[in-house]
Amino acid sequence: MKRLILATVLVVLGFVSVNAQSVYDLRINEVMLTNKTNYIDSYGERSAWIEIVNTGYNSVNVAGCFLTNDISNPMKYRIPSADPITLIPQQQYLVFFADGKSVHGTLHLNFTLDSINRFVALIAPDGSTLIDSVTLPAIGIDKSFVRLPNGKGEWRISELATPNSTNELFETHVSTGERFVKFDPFGVIMAIIAMSVVFTALLVLYRLFKLTARLVQKPIRIEFRKSKVAKAEAVEEVAEEVPGEVFAAISAALYFYETEKHDHESTVLTIERVSRRYSPWSSKLYGLQQTPNRIIVHRKLN
Amino acid sequence: MEQSASFFSFLLDNLTQFLSFTGFSNFTVGHGIMIVVGLIFIYLAIAKEFEPMLLVPIGFGIIVGNIPFTPGYQIGVYESGSVLNYLYFGVLKGIYPPLIFLGIGAMTDFSALISNPKLMLIGAAAQFGIFGAYMLALLLGFSPQEAGAIGIIGGADGPTAIFLSSKLAPELMGAIAISAYSYMALVPVIQPPVMKLLTTQKERLIRMKPPRQVSKLEKIMFPIIGMLLTTFIVPSGLPLLGMLFFGNLLKESTVTKRLADTAKGPMIDIVTILIGLTVGASTQATTFLTPKSVGIFALGAASFVVATFTGVMFVKFLNLFLKEGNKINPLIGNAGVSAVPDSARVSQVVGLEYDKTNHLLMHAMGPNVAGVIGSAVAAGILLSFLA
Repeated sequence: MKRLILATVLVVLGFVSVNAQSVYDLRINEVMLTNKTNYIDSYGERSAWIEIVNTGYNSVNVAGCFLTNDISNPMKYRIPSADPITLIPQQQYLVFFADGKSVHGTLHLNFTLDSINRFVALIAPDGSTLIDSVTLPAIGIDKSFVRLPNGKGEWRISELATPNSTNELFETHVSTGERFVKFDPFGVIMAIIAMSVVFTALLVLYRLFKLTARLVQKPIRIEFRKSKVAKAEAVEEVAEEVPGEVFAAISAALYFYETEKHDHESTVLTIERVSRRYSPWSSKLYGLQQTPNRIIVHRKLN
Repeated sequence: MEQSASFFSFLLDNLTQFLSFTGFSNFTVGHGIMIVVGLIFIYLAIAKEFEPMLLVPIGFGIIVGNIPFTPGYQIGVYESGSVLNYLYFGVLKGIYPPLIFLGIGAMTDFSALISNPKLMLIGAAAQFGIFGAYMLALLLGFSPQEAGAIGIIGGADGPTAIFLSSKLAPELMGAIAISAYSYMALVPVIQPPVMKLLTTQKERLIRMKPPRQVSKLEKIMFPIIGMLLTTFIVPSGLPLLGMLFFGNLLKESTVTKRLADTAKGPMIDIVTILIGLTVGASTQATTFLTPKSVGIFALGAASFVVATFTGVMFVKFLNLFLKEGNKINPLIGNAGVSAVPDSARVSQVVGLEYDKTNHLLMHAMGPNVAGVIGSAVAAGILLSFLA
């Protein structure tokens, strides 16, 4: 039993860690190998670059992860953790320059990419788990290798590089709804799916509450039966024990009640607080010194 | 002489400018039509008592929103920085509908549903009105998002309609909200003919078993289980379903009476005023009076008819599998649309027409509140597929 619980906890934890907003939301999104007229770094130089996208809906810090161009050396460049620039907001991008000049800053890698070194990998902070990788084909000058849609689509060569920006810049955006309606122009599939989900949700709720009702009513029934037995026993005991004076008293009370000779209590004892909102003792008005009113008497002048 | 001439020209200029700012100068036929619509709403609410809590604020909002003015002075509901625009923000960003659901949850007694859970299925069946309208809207050439937003009118749930349209088709929100609330007010007119047409005399006389007493434990468990289950299936319905069940827990736990009283009292009243007024004001003739609005009104009516039809027919279908004595009166099928408690009241009224002693209200409340859950789930599905 303990093993089962432990296994369940581990599975749940594993599931959570895989699905949580983390470095596993990061993807290599665009890479340029030969940069002649394209993106310039803050030193005014052009070099190969790698764009990372955060596909999640929380900010993700890429610090601590590794970038490499050699899979046999996964920890080639560790992204420094002291730089706030490494925090990538949701659905945003960060560009690293593969110029071999890591002394230029966090975004400058200690390796280069060119027509020979065409492999890029993003490794998790543990130094071994591969988050994402890509091997580029021989692409021309100022052309980039992009993913469409961002972070999850197919890789393709693009004439127009879009560093630090969406790859879908020049694509006609097709919404989820439009894509769905392409397959379901009359809405029949939508109706079937949605009605199935609504029915399933309410059917499960129905079954659950039928079950709950049974479970809840069961103890009540048992208690009811128990109390019935107990009552029957008590009645028997009472039948034996009750003296005649009690019956006389009950009869008298009933007689007075019927003939309305019982007097009504005029007062009722209560523990409820009597609400009295105003009291002259707590009134500020009475505590203040009153300004004397000036009385003006108009006399009629003859 | 020259001075007085310049003074008069100055006065004339200012007077002309003042006149150009008045409503009379900016008046269009559209404004006139919408003001008349607003007046009709107010008349229906006060004289006929059709949903007065909704139609009075909406009707007055329509008049407020259609007072002609010169744009640029931060007056109108669509002008950024204006007071009305700030109030409209709650509609635009879908803030008010979940708050209304909180109040509805605190008001609703789910006992009828808990005592006879199979009534939940009727609430599910009536949601076909949403998808019937969605299909019709697609056929009429509306975009998928617009069709989804229009379809939700069939759910007969104002806050849900506003919430979904604010996410899918904000430009149609005014028309969709007005259409949804109008037809909800017209439930006693739209539903009875459909109900009578689909049922036989024998079916209308079916007597249902009285609902059993529901324990406090069951009432407390319902919002918790309901919330967990429905939102795990459709997380996009979380704002609506979460608030609905939270409000109900406040009520049923009996230890948070003050919070429940606030949710179902002052808070829902404030939000109803704000949502009604601003939704009404959003029907500014310049943005509202379009052929699309007419289409939305036509589809709204169709969706209500389809929802009533499927609700009643589903009960008849269900009765095929139920034993004699356990059968459900098909007149409660219409209550699957979530216009609480109007559609349940319609079941009661129509039922009494045929048997003066057959009270269906308590039974109809079951599918009615299930309809609220069903329409919120349906909205969640549309949101996740089309957004």
